[in-house]
Amino acid sequence: MSSTNGAILETPSITKHVLGVLVENHHGVLSRIAGLFAARGFNIDSLTVSATEDSSMSRMTVTLTGDTTVIDQIRKQLNKLAEVITVEDLTEQGLHIERELVLVKVEYSPEKRTDLIEIAAIFKAKSVDMTPETIAFEISGSQEKIDNFLTMIAQEACITELARSGVVALARGSGGLRKSFYAD
Amino acid sequence: MAIAEEAIITLEEERGGGPHALAGNEMMGAEMVIQVLADQGVDTIFGYSGGAILPTYDAIFRYNAGNPDKEIRLVVPANEQGAGFMAAGYSRSTGRPGVFLVTSGPGATNCVTPIRDCAADSIPAILICGQVPRAAMGTDAFQEAPVFNIMQSCAKHTFLVLNPEELEATIRTAFRIATTGRPGPVVIDLPKDVQNWTGKFRGEGYLNLRGYEKRFARLQAMRVSDDSMASFFHMLEQSERPLIYAGGGVINGEAATELREFANTLGIPGVTTLMGIGSLDTTSDLSMHMLGMHGTAFANYAVDDCDFLIAVGSRFDDRVAGKVHEFAPNARGIAHLDIDAAEIGKVKNVSWSYVGDTGRCLDDLVRYAKKTGFKKDYTGWQRHCAGLRGNHPLDWNRKSEMIQPYYVLEELNKITKGDAIVSTGVGQHQMWAAQYFDFKQPRTWLTSGSMGTMGFGLPAAIGAKMANPDKVVIAVDGDGSIRMNLGELETATTYGVGVKVLLLNNQGDGMVRQWQKLMFDQRFSGTDKTMHKKDFVKAAQADGYEFAERLHVNEVDKVPETLQRFVDHDGPAFLEVMIDPDALVMPMVGPGKSYREMIVGDWIKPRESEGPAAQMDGKTKADLF
Ligand SMILES: Cc1ncc(C[n+]2csc(CCOP(=O)(O)OP(=O)(O)O)c2C)c(N)n1
Ligand SMILES: [Mg+2]
Repeated sequence: MSSTNGAILETPSITKHVLGVLVENHHGVLSRIAGLFAARGFNIDSLTVSATEDSSMSRMTVTLTGDTTVIDQIRKQLNKLAEVITVEDLTEQGLHIERELVLVKVEYSPEKRTDLIEIAAIFKAKSVDMTPETIAFEISGSQEKIDNFLTMIAQEACITELARSGVVALARGSGGLRKSFYAD
Repeated sequence: MAIAEEAIITLEEERGGGPHALAGNEMMGAEMVIQVLADQGVDTIFGYSGGAILPTYDAIFRYNAGNPDKEIRLVVPANEQGAGFMAAGYSRSTGRPGVFLVTSGPGATNCVTPIRDCAADSIPAILICGQVPRAAMGTDAFQEAPVFNIMQSCAKHTFLVLNPEELEATIRTAFRIATTGRPGPVVIDLPKDVQNWTGKFRGEGYLNLRGYEKRFARLQAMRVSDDSMASFFHMLEQSERPLIYAGGGVINGEAATELREFANTLGIPGVTTLMGIGSLDTTSDLSMHMLGMHGTAFANYAVDDCDFLIAVGSRFDDRVAGKVHEFAPNARGIAHLDIDAAEIGKVKNVSWSYVGDTGRCLDDLVRYAKKTGFKKDYTGWQRHCAGLRGNHPLDWNRKSEMIQPYYVLEELNKITKGDAIVSTGVGQHQMWAAQYFDFKQPRTWLTSGSMGTMGFGLPAAIGAKMANPDKVVIAVDGDGSIRMNLGELETATTYGVGVKVLLLNNQGDGMVRQWQKLMFDQRFSGTDKTMHKKDFVKAAQADGYEFAERLHVNEVDKVPETLQRFVDHDGPAFLEVMIDPDALVMPMVGPGKSYREMIVGDWIKPRESEGPAAQMDGKTKADLF
């Protein structure tokens, strides 16, 4: 009996995952992938799509939070799509570089200006626009760093507009999605 | 320095065949479509024309005029949904993808149901839809619908052909995707100007779907390692009561021969799912018939008793494992063989798995058993199963003065003896047909399993009969289901397709009534059809059925003789049998219940050890579908 407990009934630990997905650069691929997440009720935190080193491919980076059974099921379902070239869980593979670009605008009162600029300096954020009432920062980095930065500036001023690019990620070292796809 | 792969590639299968006889010829896109279909061996197209697909219909006409010896039959239904189910019946009964061809907008949207139906049951099919010209797309043009968007959430794959240079490769690739890996339907959305475009025919080439091809090559190469073999046989050796649980994957994967060999060599009995019927010969000793919500009591008891479950091409669907953690509660191990990695561990964790061609895996297991001299005596367990079958058979009120549906099917089965192709609608009649018919061969039981689509039966039978003209093909339908595609009655006579339509008329949506009876305190909201005026026999006569008869509910004694004439009739035949409207499908494992909570009704003997016969309490709400 021990080996046959229902997979859908288990609740293993919930962690954040970053999936790197290479897809054929065809019409409608993004909508197909987004449609898969929607139809199967998979919640994702962010999804980015972009060109790659190979013009016949696009790269998607999906970040999601879930337990291993759910992540495993998502990977398997992605692998069933004809236009998916390869799917890898970069978190599982260990070391990877992860970045998100964020533009954030705050309304501040004059006495907070130097505080804001100091926080920005600590987080290596750049001020990219400024008016007497508002200041816009650009910051890139890991989601964690960005979340911390946003928490800090929210204590000093009112965030009036925020745009996040979603996460992009690469494996560290000599590996890579395309390379490992062709390697084996 | 962008590096890019070729968009169109030659596959291994194509190499060495020499160029296509028509390679290099100038052709219209529409002609290329039909030529590739012909090259793929398509002999029948089901479909309905219209503005956006006219060039392709014209190309069929011209192809047939130019190739009188290998004409492609064109079958026009009453409704595109009918074409879809005809294609599905063709495909399910042969394994070759059925093809349907429709116009844009409403023609395409009428095909959503059959496409989803095929996808849900893993049936290969090809749908080509006309689309408004590329320049008009996105302008809300006449008969424009977002077919790509609609279909991509339903089909295995969807193409929109925007580059005519890729047209012929797209059609070929559609067949490849439909038939490889876990099969499924592929939709091609084809703008009218692409059909009218003229270019050079290459006669070869596929779209380069690298990931798909690589994964498929891996699946093809997948063998069971010696270690894995050893662990499978270790589990089998430890087990005293192994049971096969075979699903539609065995049929779709053409693995029935290997499954039977596996069962017979090792002496392991098996149950099948609704979709797996025909994977084992139901008349064989090791067959325990269907399990699940309306499975036989003996099959479900065997599942409760087994200590090792071998799932082959089945997926622990909620109609089988309503209460997942109490499914096969005594199984110390489960082995799962499937072509689709996503099915492994999706519902139930398993102790041994294989992802790939199930037939090859079973074959490898049998070889390994022979090589290593594996022997285990399961005769005690076989006797136990035979005892279950003998003691808890399907049964019904044999003294009733009203025609019982079970009686009709039992008598019909005596005539067809497990050799007929049987299709069904959805409802009680479907379950009765699954329970009471024998099926000696795979691909003879055609039913909408996962979607449960009413209206499937009649058109599916037409498609199957066209593909199998020498077989007896019977559509067992319900009064509700047949209404859904009643227009197709005429399609059978128009094309002289000798299907036998058996209508089990209980004057209502019997299956829904059954749930209302058991779970909604007998409030028959929207399911009573005693006031309906339809005279089905007259309808059949009006559509040209030379055999169109009715048995009244009290004409019990006329059943055998009438059925014999019905089956013997040369050509399409229609028989309506008025049955006891209160007949129930038993046994029943309620939604979300375990097999221990199975109710058996008044005529099937429950087993003592199950404790007091379970009852469905009249007020349990069916939260679970
Ligand atoms: C297209 C569709 N609509 C609704 C249903 C829900 N449904 C399942 S069985 C059934 C009743 C079927 O009635 P009938 O065909 O007469 O079969 P019976 O149960 O009476 O044998 C209904 C409405 C369905 N399965 N398919
Ligand atoms: Mg009915």
